[in-house]
Amino acid sequence: MNGARACVVFVILTLSSIRVFAESDRRVTVPDEHRDFLKMHCVKCHNADKSEGEARLDDISFEIADIETAERWQKILNALNAGEMPPEDSKQPTEIEKTRFLDNLSQTMVSARRKLGDQGGVITMRRLNRREYENTIRDLLGVSVNVKSLPSDVGAGGFDTVGKSLFFSSDQFEQYLAIARLALDEAMVMGRKPELRHEHRECEETATPSLKKSLANLQKQQNNGTKAIETGDSTKYGFPDLARAKFQKDQAEIRIPIHELVLDHPLTESGALLTLSTGYSRDLTLIPKDAAPGNYLLRVRAGTLGGVPSNRQFMEVGCIVDGETAQGEMTVLSCYQVTGTSEDPQTIEIPITVTKSGSRNFVIRERQHNDRKAVQTMFFRERAANGVGPALSLWLDWVEWEGPVVDRWPPEATVKLFCAAAHAKLDDTNAREIVARFATRAFRGKEVKESFLDKLMEIFHRQRKAGASLESALREPLAVVLASPSFLYIVEPTTTQETRALSPVELANRLSYFLWSAPPDDALMDLAESGELMKSDVLTRQVDRMMASPKAWSFVEGFVSQWLHMERLDFFQFSPMLYPGFDHSARLAARDEVFHTFHTVLREDLSLATLLKADFVVVNDLLADYYGLEGVRGNQFCKVALEPGSVRGGLLGMAAILAMGSDGERSSPVERGAFVMRRLLNAAPPPAPANVPQLSRLEGEILPARELLAAHMEEAQCAQCHRKIDPIGYGLENFNAAGLWRAEEVISVGKVKKQARGQGETEHFPIDPSGQLPDGTKFDDYQGLRQAVAGRTENFARGLTEALLEYALGRPFGFTDEELANDILASARSREYSLREIVHSIIRSQPFLSK
Amino acid sequence: MNNHSFYRRAFLRSSSTLIALPFFNSFGWRRFASAAAPVARPKRILFLGFGFGVTRETWYPNVDQTGTEWLLPPGLKPLERHKKDISLVQNLSNKFNNEAHWGSTFWLTGANRYAEPGQSFHNSVSADQVAAEVFGKETRFTSIQLGADDADASGHGPGLSLAWNRQGKPIAALNNPVTAFHRLFSDETTPLEQRQSELRDKRSVLDTVVDDAQGVARGLNKHDSDKLDEYLQSIRDIETRLSKEEQWLDIPKSKPTDPVTEPAGELVGYEEIKVMYDLMVAALQADASRVMTYRQPVENLYRSLDVSFTAHNCSHYTEGARKEASQLRDEKQSALLAHLIDRLKASLEPDGSTLFDHTCLTYGSNIQSMHYLENCPTLLTGGGAGVKLGKHLVMSDPKTPLCNLWLSLLQGVGIPVRAHGDSTGTIPELF
Repeated sequence: MNGARACVVFVILTLSSIRVFAESDRRVTVPDEHRDFLKMHCVKCHNADKSEGEARLDDISFEIADIETAERWQKILNALNAGEMPPEDSKQPTEIEKTRFLDNLSQTMVSARRKLGDQGGVITMRRLNRREYENTIRDLLGVSVNVKSLPSDVGAGGFDTVGKSLFFSSDQFEQYLAIARLALDEAMVMGRKPELRHEHRECEETATPSLKKSLANLQKQQNNGTKAIETGDSTKYGFPDLARAKFQKDQAEIRIPIHELVLDHPLTESGALLTLSTGYSRDLTLIPKDAAPGNYLLRVRAGTLGGVPSNRQFMEVGCIVDGETAQGEMTVLSCYQVTGTSEDPQTIEIPITVTKSGSRNFVIRERQHNDRKAVQTMFFRERAANGVGPALSLWLDWVEWEGPVVDRWPPEATVKLFCAAAHAKLDDTNAREIVARFATRAFRGKEVKESFLDKLMEIFHRQRKAGASLESALREPLAVVLASPSFLYIVEPTTTQETRALSPVELANRLSYFLWSAPPDDALMDLAESGELMKSDVLTRQVDRMMASPKAWSFVEGFVSQWLHMERLDFFQFSPMLYPGFDHSARLAARDEVFHTFHTVLREDLSLATLLKADFVVVNDLLADYYGLEGVRGNQFCKVALEPGSVRGGLLGMAAILAMGSDGERSSPVERGAFVMRRLLNAAPPPAPANVPQLSRLEGEILPARELLAAHMEEAQCAQCHRKIDPIGYGLENFNAAGLWRAEEVISVGKVKKQARGQGETEHFPIDPSGQLPDGTKFDDYQGLRQAVAGRTENFARGLTEALLEYALGRPFGFTDEELANDILASARSREYSLREIVHSIIRSQPFLSK
Repeated sequence: MNNHSFYRRAFLRSSSTLIALPFFNSFGWRRFASAAAPVARPKRILFLGFGFGVTRETWYPNVDQTGTEWLLPPGLKPLERHKKDISLVQNLSNKFNNEAHWGSTFWLTGANRYAEPGQSFHNSVSADQVAAEVFGKETRFTSIQLGADDADASGHGPGLSLAWNRQGKPIAALNNPVTAFHRLFSDETTPLEQRQSELRDKRSVLDTVVDDAQGVARGLNKHDSDKLDEYLQSIRDIETRLSKEEQWLDIPKSKPTDPVTEPAGELVGYEEIKVMYDLMVAALQADASRVMTYRQPVENLYRSLDVSFTAHNCSHYTEGARKEASQLRDEKQSALLAHLIDRLKASLEPDGSTLFDHTCLTYGSNIQSMHYLENCPTLLTGGGAGVKLGKHLVMSDPKTPLCNLWLSLLQGVGIPVRAHGDSTGTIPELF
């Protein structure tokens, strides 16, 4: 590779690159220095007299002040990126000239889009997004609803709190009604307190008969197959043809040994041995249909058999939702490390929730990839080695469940719903009062019109007349409340264009939707209604209380997942061959690590710098096992101190972040480098342009990532960005696609089918982790990279503050907010970039307190 | 019509959106069943979108073989038996689209994402919905949107189906064959009277929320009342649908000439697409709708073909396994399309012609392959729009707007439109 030459080019270009526009100047202009480029290479054909392709460029404005000008420049950018212009037969710019022009123009376009997208500080009324809606219903009715039928509100750029981009599609109204009806059905629990039920099952009672039956079937299949082949008569033995007979026989022979192994095992007499793929692979517990919804406890007596790696000593609990059985998948609810042994088993207690309409089919299985084919791959790989299949790892003695566990009856939400009239008899005379009180709560302090109530009552009476019971007649008007604009939108009326201070109730709503993604609780609403909330010290105490509340998890999860675009973690299936340990539960734990770490920084009032480099991690047993950290017990996340020199600690050392910088198979220095620029250095590269000719020179060659990427430097269209991005990513090459440390790069080669059968081959390459930051700072390896990034807390804090402002205010961060961001950062700096301080500053800021 | 609904509609009308409310025909008015002596068979228009595009090297015919003298490329091989009945068009694209993973969002709209100042996303009406405004009057379903539950992973981009309404808001799809089957063909089991009463209940729900909206609207500035308008638009849409339901209330769902049964519940990928195609044919036979779109599963298709790479990974193929997978997908998709064409050709209309003769079908995506958004894959079939079939057309302007095609097809099936999206004119060479 020609690294030396590429390096020289980097340095010259980075040093000479100047900011496209001054921070204080709100105009977005293409730098004047490019007038010559345009004149030399474009204007000759694209002018007033000779506007080739109907594009005239001699009169183009260098200031991008409107969408039309932006589109003209975008066209130029596209044509250059696609390599269409300048035409082959005309004079070509040098690669350096072209790179520089493209680089500046791409950056200018990013600024221009931002400026043209600036809402001038206007906060548009917004609808509750899907998360907020879910939480709001939970607070109001005490039930969890399935919101999958609503649009996710994430994905078209920006946060799901930005009102202007939250649309309302024509089917949505009916979805809201349908969800509300279901939720009300669950919430309106009348009648007597449900009795506690209990059931105990010895696992061998279900496992052994099922295995015996399955073995008998397999043996029959094998015999019939053998006979069909011997006699040549397939139909007589129940096969459509001989090929099918042979296939079925082979399948039986693959499966029989593991069945025999389990059935011959002494532990089968007193419990169930769990297998992977074929055999008794999932233990099912069905909560009967007539058992009341509520919180239940599942208890499992389990132990490990020993002799298998630690990552296989975990038990997954999940439930089967419609359609999941076919693929051998389930909805994973939790994962437990099994520390007991078959001689000395332990009892694991698992809280589960049973709802009226949700799944009642609970599954216990060995931790595994949540994909039938992936598990088969694992099976075949082990079978290839020992002729049977994966070694047995988990043994279940018995399973029992009890529930519903009711600590208060009727439930609090039901009591609230029926106006504390727990004992008073419900009748038609207090129906209006119930509806009115509910609407008042649902509208979060906004007035409920009498005419609206009248109409709700009309609905009620019609239902009654049609013969509906009191409860079900009440359900309908209450559902309509939950589909009304006063409920669905956060309304802050203003008739003028002037900004005004928020009322205390409006402030309470903004606060709680910012920090909880949920409506204000009684304490906050009381302070708002009395006006106390407007006192600075009261406000500060409330914000502290809210950040400390478990409800702040919604903020952490909602904000962080969007800020870091964590949906990418679900984009790829991680190859079970290459990354057997990075299964579904590992991926969930890796994702949660990011949230829990952010939550810890918020709760413990730590510096943002801890997100760049820290001497601790926040992990649970599973992730600790994945990282090779000793001594972490329990599936709750906790703070764990790291040995000096550990590669973990900070975002760059997190499996989720590293895995997102991959395609599930190979690490991607490009994705990782771009992540560092975007989220950590606050220097986002422009979005990947369309129509750039694919680099084909190295096509099909098996090469380490670094060598493949070197080709980026050969074309200006690529080099403009990749000269900055890729060298950062090289510093993370010691982490594989699933975020584990590696000494060499392992690439899987050969046919796909073979890999699926566990017979893939690999090639190994040494890793060169040296690289540099866009400003020219060089590093030798991962530790050097992390150190260099950690030295730029200011940049990181600015990017994070801008994102937080956008999330909190519900509008894009605009040029008009620069000063605000400066102030917030100044006060944060004096407190070592405390995340809490930044949140406090945002809440105390003028834009947050006004409409 | 009671007073409340009068006020509601007056209120809906007074808000700033330009769309007129359809007149509420609560009494008596009844459309004629389509069996009444047909003069010419009705036209149908169908769009099938497949997200992440195709394998560029092996899907397109050779650009030097145009007109009727062209060879089927490997990616289209399974369409061999229909070669005289399909046309390929090259060099079409949407000039505003810079989103390399959004194969469906702007495919039928040609919109500029950034056209609306201060908004991170904007879209406009899709071609199918333009047709639905005219064709939809005649059928029980104004239009039918089909989709799959893997859209996020299939390179379709934002949206709920291929269809976007007049306001540029997404229209939801039926995302699995079972739901689609029931919506299209299941008989109503509730008695007529009860359904009439349900309709009244639905209207009084709308009345009620509009009453609340009137209160909210009173104190809003321009930006906020635009937002509230989106809500009200949704109420208007439901009203339109209800009055349509009312018209059809006592007409049983018509049956396709080839009977269909409820599909199995767990079809994924290849079989899923095949069943959806069959349901589309059945819906056309029953004249349930004349406008349909299908945002096809791609990720699930790979799963059903035992390919372990994701659709995204395959779309960024390089020589080797991923390219092979991408080519396999092209081939399987072509085989499915060939099956659909078979079915259309085999569906006889009352006058002896076939459904194929009256259907205009486009099969394609806004993405060519990888990050290429130019020369969007475009295959046309069916006689509905009068497009000459069996031709390979390479537009001389390499950036001919896709919207020129949509405009041509819309006009071809008889929709009186002068422009669509960023169209600059029609494509006369098609006819």
